[in-house]
Amino acid sequence: MALARVENLSFRYPEAPGPALDGVSLELERGEVVALLGPSGGGKSSLLRALAGLVPHFHGGSFGGRVEVAGRDTRNTRPAELAGDVATLFQDPEDQVVFTRVAAEVAFGLENIGTPSAFILPRAAAALDAVGAEHLADRRVAELSGGELQRVCLASVLALEPGLLLLDEPTSQLDPDGAEEAIELARAAGAAVVVSEQRPDRVLGASDRVLFLDRGRIVLDAPRAEALDWLARNRPAWLPREAELRGREPEGEPACRLDAVSFGYVPEKPVLADAALDLRRGEVVALTGPNGSGKTTLAKIAAGLLEANSGTVARSGRACYLSQDPGRYLVRERVEDEVALAVDGDLERARAALAELGLAGYGARHPRDLSSGERERLALAAVLVAEPDLLVLDEPTRGVDPERKDELTALLRAQAHTRATLVVTNDRVFAAAVADRSVSTADDREAALV
Amino acid sequence: MSPVPAAALLAGLAAAALLADRTISVAAIALVLFAICLRAPASRRRVYLLGAMLSGLGVFLVSPFVASIGSHVLWSGPTVPVLGRLDVTSEELREALFQGLRLTAVALAFAAYALLLDHDRLVQAAGFARRSVLAIALATRLVPTLERDAAGLVEALRGRGVEVAGLHGRARLVSPLLAGSLERALNLAEAMEARGYGRPGATRSPQPAWGGREWLALALGALAVVAGALWL
Repeated sequence: MALARVENLSFRYPEAPGPALDGVSLELERGEVVALLGPSGGGKSSLLRALAGLVPHFHGGSFGGRVEVAGRDTRNTRPAELAGDVATLFQDPEDQVVFTRVAAEVAFGLENIGTPSAFILPRAAAALDAVGAEHLADRRVAELSGGELQRVCLASVLALEPGLLLLDEPTSQLDPDGAEEAIELARAAGAAVVVSEQRPDRVLGASDRVLFLDRGRIVLDAPRAEALDWLARNRPAWLPREAELRGREPEGEPACRLDAVSFGYVPEKPVLADAALDLRRGEVVALTGPNGSGKTTLAKIAAGLLEANSGTVARSGRACYLSQDPGRYLVRERVEDEVALAVDGDLERARAALAELGLAGYGARHPRDLSSGERERLALAAVLVAEPDLLVLDEPTRGVDPERKDELTALLRAQAHTRATLVVTNDRVFAAAVADRSVSTADDREAALV
Repeated sequence: MSPVPAAALLAGLAAAALLADRTISVAAIALVLFAICLRAPASRRRVYLLGAMLSGLGVFLVSPFVASIGSHVLWSGPTVPVLGRLDVTSEELREALFQGLRLTAVALAFAAYALLLDHDRLVQAAGFARRSVLAIALATRLVPTLERDAAGLVEALRGRGVEVAGLHGRARLVSPLLAGSLERALNLAEAMEARGYGRPGATRSPQPAWGGREWLALALGALAVVAGALWL
């Protein structure tokens, strides 16, 4: 008997113009790993929510068809009652944290599902150990990097030992090694695993079966080998690609130079020690490195948002910085006003920037009405519009599907000659496609990064 | 120390400030609570201390104009519709000082609770009314979360070359901050539901046993309430 069965599922969010899911049918068996692919807004997150019972219980809307998980009809079972049988890792780790300390956070779900007291802490510790985060157990959640927090959230769902594990972009903030480990851990848990991913190279290798959702419909449901053929014919951007980072010598006039830079948010914990970075006009540089190694800190110092504790920083012209969190680009009531902020309210330039990012016609909408992928592009437009001399992008492909990523690559390459560009990324494929060279914060942080 | 007796001690001090009759007693309690708050890191305590002081100062400045007690007039002002004659008496000033200190003491007790207690352990230790304790713990996080969100918005604006200056510039961030806060609250509620929150039969992580300090704090909290009611 299938662990989960979806029959002719259709769903529309309240006040949405069209259905998020349209006639979806599938079955999930225990132990299989399913890669759930598809463009932003295609219905991947909605399908995961339906499997967790959150659609329709939490979101309302109109629901047709039937979803059955572990023998229970989700229309008659609250999501909280499905917890334990089903566990969901949501897209944004910052929005799913309840407690202030890591150990308590991982224990929360175990307490809710009625795990005997004596087993709660050992199971929480084992889950943290499994994701390589045992050293974080006593840390405050607010002090963790994005990648560390994602590991903690993954531990929180693995600790539940669910039959059905739903992972919504679980590797968006993880370094490549961490991403592979996460998928393997999910597989090793023996559960049916559905992984929604925008980076197919991270999930296709580990999956048994591939679903492709577009505009709420399943357009592909096939074993991996067959799916790869289909993707090659129909959606080549979604195929795994080789990622060979380039290593050109820096050339062009200097745009930003950091020498012997040290920085710590608190004096006793230095994040950077004697770091150096050289960015030249006309080049795109990828800044890579493991989670928590100081990539974002270095990028902020380069952009002038943080002052180094010691060392020298030389910069010429205007610098702009794109934050990891697109939620920080929702200050105004209209999309075009949001983008025009950086150019003294020049709406013509704002509209042109929006068009370049595929958001033409979105100008009058409220930024909060955009989907997560659209918000990512809005944030990018809000920064690119300023035509800076130094552009610093912090994880610009988080939540961006491969087709949009290709467009972003083309855009950054086309504009590369006008500025120096620093891209902080753990997306190796994107880094290889967009960057002239890469630098890393890995291993020896005292070594020069140039 | 376990957070439960620590919270009881702070609640006892706040209750004593509300029950005490003498200004000097309330001032002493406020001073003790202020000293306790100083144990928190300077960067975190600033907002809370400022909030507590401004609340008390606000009461001290406004209440003489709206109260009508005493006969020793120090200043006489115009007559305002609804409020009546605006005058300030020495009795009103004394009462304003007393009430201002009371509010400051209660706000400082909350500040100490927010800054120094381990809310996770407080929630986990709650044997009953766990939902209420969790709701209070989440509400307590609102101030630092909003502070962090505001810093994030300002940083993103600076990253676009837009400086946020003056009261007007900061006031324009209030609406997106609140909207963001509501959005986050919805996402968090969804995640909590998915993790089984609210399901019957929940259990608790084992809690460490109380020692002498815990019982002493509990006794001091009770003593503070009694002293506030009878002697202060």
